[in-house]
Amino acid sequence: MKALSGLTERKPAVLLPLSRGSIRARQRGQTPLGHVNLRALLVCAWLGLCASLSPAQTLDKCRDLQGTGQARQADACYQQLLSSADPYVRAEAAWALEQYQAANESFRSACERAPKNALCRARWGRFYLDRRQWQDAGKLFAEALEIQPDHPEALLGLALVSARGYERKAVELAGKAIASDPKLVDARVLLSRLALEDGNESKAAEEARKALEVDSKALDAMAMLAAIDWLNDDHNTPWAERILKINPMYGEAFATAGHFLVLNRRYEEGVRFYRRAIELNPRLHKARVELGINLMRLGLDDEAREHLELSYSNGERYAEVVNPLRLLDSYRNFETFTGPATVLRLHRREADFLRPYFESELTRAIRTFEKKYGMRLERPVRLEVYPDHEDFAVRALGMPGLGALGVAFGNVVAMDSPSGRKPGSFHWASTLWHELSHVFVLTATGHRVPRWFTEGMAVYEETEVSPDWGDRITPDVIEAVREKKLLPVAQLDRGFVRPEYPAQVVVSYFQAGQLCGYIAEKWGYRKLLDMMHAFGKRKSTPEVIVQELALAPEELDKAFFAWLDGKLSKTVQGFGDWKNGIRKIAASAKAGQHSEVIEQGRQIRDLYPDYVEDGSVYEFLAESYLALGDKARAREQLAAYARIGGRHPEVIKRLAGLLEEAGQKAEAARALEKLNYVYPQDEDLQRRLGTLWLEQGNAEGAVRAFHSVLALKPLDRAAAHFNLASAYRAARKNEQALEQVILALEAAPGYRPAQRLLLELSQ
Amino acid sequence: MRTAILLLAAVSSLSGATCFLTVAGLGGEAEYEQRFAGWAQEMDRTLRASAGVARMETLHGPSATRARLASALEELARQCTSSDALAVTLIGHGTFDGVDYKFNLHGPDVTAAELARWLDRVPAARQLVVNTTSASGGSLQVLSRENRIVVTATKSGTEKNATIFARYWAEALRDPSADTDKNEAISALEAFRYAQQKTAQFYKSQKRLATEHALLEDTDGGAGSQTPSPEDGRGRLAAAFTLVRFGAAQAAAADPAKQKLFMKKEDLEQQIDRLKYQKAALPEAEYRKQLTALLLELAKTQAAMDP
Repeated sequence: MKALSGLTERKPAVLLPLSRGSIRARQRGQTPLGHVNLRALLVCAWLGLCASLSPAQTLDKCRDLQGTGQARQADACYQQLLSSADPYVRAEAAWALEQYQAANESFRSACERAPKNALCRARWGRFYLDRRQWQDAGKLFAEALEIQPDHPEALLGLALVSARGYERKAVELAGKAIASDPKLVDARVLLSRLALEDGNESKAAEEARKALEVDSKALDAMAMLAAIDWLNDDHNTPWAERILKINPMYGEAFATAGHFLVLNRRYEEGVRFYRRAIELNPRLHKARVELGINLMRLGLDDEAREHLELSYSNGERYAEVVNPLRLLDSYRNFETFTGPATVLRLHRREADFLRPYFESELTRAIRTFEKKYGMRLERPVRLEVYPDHEDFAVRALGMPGLGALGVAFGNVVAMDSPSGRKPGSFHWASTLWHELSHVFVLTATGHRVPRWFTEGMAVYEETEVSPDWGDRITPDVIEAVREKKLLPVAQLDRGFVRPEYPAQVVVSYFQAGQLCGYIAEKWGYRKLLDMMHAFGKRKSTPEVIVQELALAPEELDKAFFAWLDGKLSKTVQGFGDWKNGIRKIAASAKAGQHSEVIEQGRQIRDLYPDYVEDGSVYEFLAESYLALGDKARAREQLAAYARIGGRHPEVIKRLAGLLEEAGQKAEAARALEKLNYVYPQDEDLQRRLGTLWLEQGNAEGAVRAFHSVLALKPLDRAAAHFNLASAYRAARKNEQALEQVILALEAAPGYRPAQRLLLELSQ
Repeated sequence: MRTAILLLAAVSSLSGATCFLTVAGLGGEAEYEQRFAGWAQEMDRTLRASAGVARMETLHGPSATRARLASALEELARQCTSSDALAVTLIGHGTFDGVDYKFNLHGPDVTAAELARWLDRVPAARQLVVNTTSASGGSLQVLSRENRIVVTATKSGTEKNATIFARYWAEALRDPSADTDKNEAISALEAFRYAQQKTAQFYKSQKRLATEHALLEDTDGGAGSQTPSPEDGRGRLAAAFTLVRFGAAQAAAADPAKQKLFMKKEDLEQQIDRLKYQKAALPEAEYRKQLTALLLELAKTQAAMDP
């Protein structure tokens, strides 16, 4: 996944499957309202399940039936509780029977009758979590904690809300819940889950075992231990048998494993586990939703739709289901182009325009990586390009709000279209290469590779294509380096999964990329490939470092940080001066004091040369040089801006204009051509580029640029057809030239240059 | 149809010139003040360099007052004749309170109703009012009348954000690509379409919700259209209202020595227009064959007319 600098990406929202079966040993036989209902007792007796049980005890009995896979009996049991006088019991029963509206109303009624009962609110909150209404759930947990500040179920509920956003405080809240109730099994299971999400298997296993010490039949805890085994390719885990012995329908165990496999980018295996989960229990709707979302990730849209629609019709009507279904509907507006090694999906409104750019770049990247990685992909790469960023986000996560630019799911890549971002803010080709690198690394390792390594390789590969590609060093990165916030390599994955500060994801991308660059510089590129293959053999990061670099991870950290310090020390130490300086420059520029701008700009520009965002020193200097009539120096500044990686279209076009004025037309064309990788959907850019290429004798380049103008549906169609005709004429393709000139004259019969070309072509 | 409109433009342009008045109103902030004045000055430069300008006045900065606007239109009422055309462009901020539209000027503002009264006194038979301000859609109904084209940057008085339509209107007057029919002149309709498309592209590329949607009204009392097309009766006047000329086409039409060729050219253009209307009914190859023959003949005729 390629993240947008400055934004933190969010991960798929997956919560603990709600463990209705382990609601609680310690509160058995109690309801928040605490009274006995005669009718329920009668029902219970009629069922022969109990001799003299309270409704709450009956509820426990129903849960026991459910927890042991006796679904029909459990349903019958819950069904009888629907007529309980205790609204809390009714709520729990309705929830279990998937009567969500009734459950919600009964919870409301129960909590109104017991306004000081924290458990009622905590359980109602859990119900909202199940319905994916995170904010409402959070409010109910907070209300419960107002009633009882250490209420363990409420603390756990808040921990679950935090866990959804991969927030660090989830661990803290779960810890508090356990402190309040050391026997709260669900909290232990959550800690186990959080640890495994961080890649800490031993901690995850330890927490799961602690849960089993409290409740030896805690299926969720066993599921965690099974998931750890499955992640390690141990398919003979004893935990699966133990789980199914207790509850033959306990598909949740497989759904849990599916979650972790997906989190480790092992999508196909994840799908297999989700399939198994719903095979065991077709009513595991959350698992079915995840199956649908992950089938979409693998490009299996028809099957994904079936599962998502079934989930929807079974009451799963929240955004994670509705958004992907809407996106699937919108695919009728997309076109798919299939090649020998590629499948390209583009939105109909920009398909004509983008297709040549994306097809050629995709093919170039595949060929390059096949050579570099020494392997061939067995399946075509499927690339999907979304002009609406929120569609891309839904495609990636099922939800809008993703800060990433592209994402790779095995051999399927989804990314923003250049039209989905502000011009100059997105280098689509760099993102494409980044994601393609993931495709190769994931394939080479069988998806068994730590996050830091695959991201590091992807970042490294971007700048290998061209030094001005990829991301520049951001102020966040400088701050992190200065404050020594970079993580040891053995813990670097944590920076991606559960960031401790907002910029940590971006900083981790930078660090991983630099680390791969350091390894390539010191040991050679081949060493990175050796490491990749070692990861594919299930070695851990420390093991791979020791094996391939003959260093302890700590030694690598020490050497790498020293190398990085040497590289960045000027920027890190000078950052304060640069920040002060840029403010002064802006003030001088505003006052029209161009000499001062030039003097101040020269002093600070190279303290932070990577800064090429809006208001860069390069732009200030160029403006001031131009104001003083020194076009040559202005040109030099803008050329440096472009060389470093500046990519704002207007600035680059200005550079091209200055180069043209100076007679450097080939350089001007090359400068403009870089914008094809940034924001090609610019009519003016394509027209200028086509004209320059035509003047340079690059007829093929001119044909491509003028074709692009036409694909942008320009207002001036006559000129666009005429220019393309001229380019074809230069390329000695007179038939196509004639066709285009006729189209030009059809639009504007009196168009003199086109008339002259027609006469020329007709001779 | 296009040829007929072109001929109408040629006839009208031969019979009179155009009086231009451009006003950049109160910016409120230095940035807007500078921006509005810049667009007005750019238009001024372009129009002065064009042929057929009878009178040109541009007001901006402190001179852009209600009194100066009134006196400028009074002066035009004295100088312009009925055979002339009048083009008034308003740049800046406007307001609409649900009843009255006001153009913001230094000192007292001017309402759309006052402006309409002043414009009615100008004898120029063909008039164009381009109101590029925020909320300018609120002025459309009041300014509309027979033989007057009204362009507004917004579709109603409730689109209140500062607009950028004027930037692209000014650009249309100097960008040859706005001349989509390649007759070496830019009509009000071509300028409208150019500015409208560029404005839409601006919002799209900046990932901003479009807060202005331009309208053109030239049917006397119509509601204004975002997609005027002479073929369906809207934009006919605008297509015939020439703003800028930059070629020798008009001179050729007036040269008696070339009258025969000119008539042949007209005939060919009309044949091409007729053929284009039959396009859907003809086999593609047949259409292409006939079109190529006519275009080739037209090109030869034009070559014979060219010096």
